[in-house]
Amino acid sequence: MAKPNKDSQKHITVEDLLQLKRSERPDEVFWGQFDRELQQRMMQTLVKKNPLHLQVWSALSGRLTQSIGVACTAIFLAVMVVRPALVGTGSSSNSRSVAQTEDTANQAASVAVEVSMSDLGGSSVEGSHDYSIEGISAEVESPDSSFTRDFAMVGFVLGLDADYSSDAASSRVPFGSIGVATTLVY
Amino acid sequence: MATSDSVTKPIFPAQEAEAESSQRDLDWAVVQRVQSGNVGAYDQLVQKYRGKIFSIVYNMTSNREDASDLTQDTFIKAFQAIARFKGKSSFFTWIYRIAINSTMTFLKKRSRRRFISYENIDEEVSNSEIFERLTAKNRTEKGALVNELQEKLNDALQKLSVKHRTVVILHEIEGLEHAEIAEITKTSVGTVRSRLHYAKQQLQSYLKDYIG
Repeated sequence: MAKPNKDSQKHITVEDLLQLKRSERPDEVFWGQFDRELQQRMMQTLVKKNPLHLQVWSALSGRLTQSIGVACTAIFLAVMVVRPALVGTGSSSNSRSVAQTEDTANQAASVAVEVSMSDLGGSSVEGSHDYSIEGISAEVESPDSSFTRDFAMVGFVLGLDADYSSDAASSRVPFGSIGVATTLVY
Repeated sequence: MATSDSVTKPIFPAQEAEAESSQRDLDWAVVQRVQSGNVGAYDQLVQKYRGKIFSIVYNMTSNREDASDLTQDTFIKAFQAIARFKGKSSFFTWIYRIAINSTMTFLKKRSRRRFISYENIDEEVSNSEIFERLTAKNRTEKGALVNELQEKLNDALQKLSVKHRTVVILHEIEGLEHAEIAEITKTSVGTVRSRLHYAKQQLQSYLKDYIG
């Protein structure tokens, strides 16, 4: 490499040297090839499909967004509208059932007294009071108040329908009437 | 069709501002045509800016093949994103930014692999006054000096950090104003000046054999 003579280069600056870089230009052959390659790549870009995982994701993300939106709306409605309404219904039905229970209990107690009296007296009322007798015996054997209340409700329903088979259903009907939405909320 | 060579800077500041504004409006009109579905109009932007973009990338990478690929990448990225271009900045600022960001990402990945392939220097420049002086004083053959100086300049640029190199290239080689560089690199004008000052000092020490 030739050593430059410093005395004769005082007028040359960094800027002057850097400006020489402006002259490093590709020729027309280069640009012809460049244009062809770029055109090909642009065409590929225009017709190219996204990779499979991106297609799946884009398809799912749309449905996911919809599902999440619907679910959020359902939860909001359940919490803000359905639940307060059911809570109100539940409390009124509860108070009603408590009152009914008390009435039925009183009736049952009176029946119990009647039956026991008839039993003592040897009267023949078994056909119509068969179930009541069972109930009374249960009350006598188990002083548990919840059982008494259940029985009282059963006795109330059965007394109206006179159908023995509805025994098991009576304890579920009020609970089932609350509905699926409330179950989800709870 | 306009080419990069036809984008010349006027002498007076008022004329320059007017020309810039008009260039910006022209570019924006073409961009809007592309956005409305006229894909062919994009070729006008490619023809206009390919030389400038290539020059920036080439001087940043010192490799013509990499520069060619990155320039193409830049135009493809810009095309893919052109629907989101709202015209808040000029098209050239936007596409320069894409080019510089792509090149910076490329250089980070390429940090261990470094080979240089040069572009040819114009005959006109090799006959310029600076070359005449350099050859006369060095007592060397012009062709040898051209190659030697080209190698030294590229080496010196590659020794700078990417941020300093970018500022030097944009200002000294591409002729952009400090404010334009600040907008492209998303820094302040002060930062641009500071980087430019530091970079020139570094280059001066690397090229001390050629400058007085």
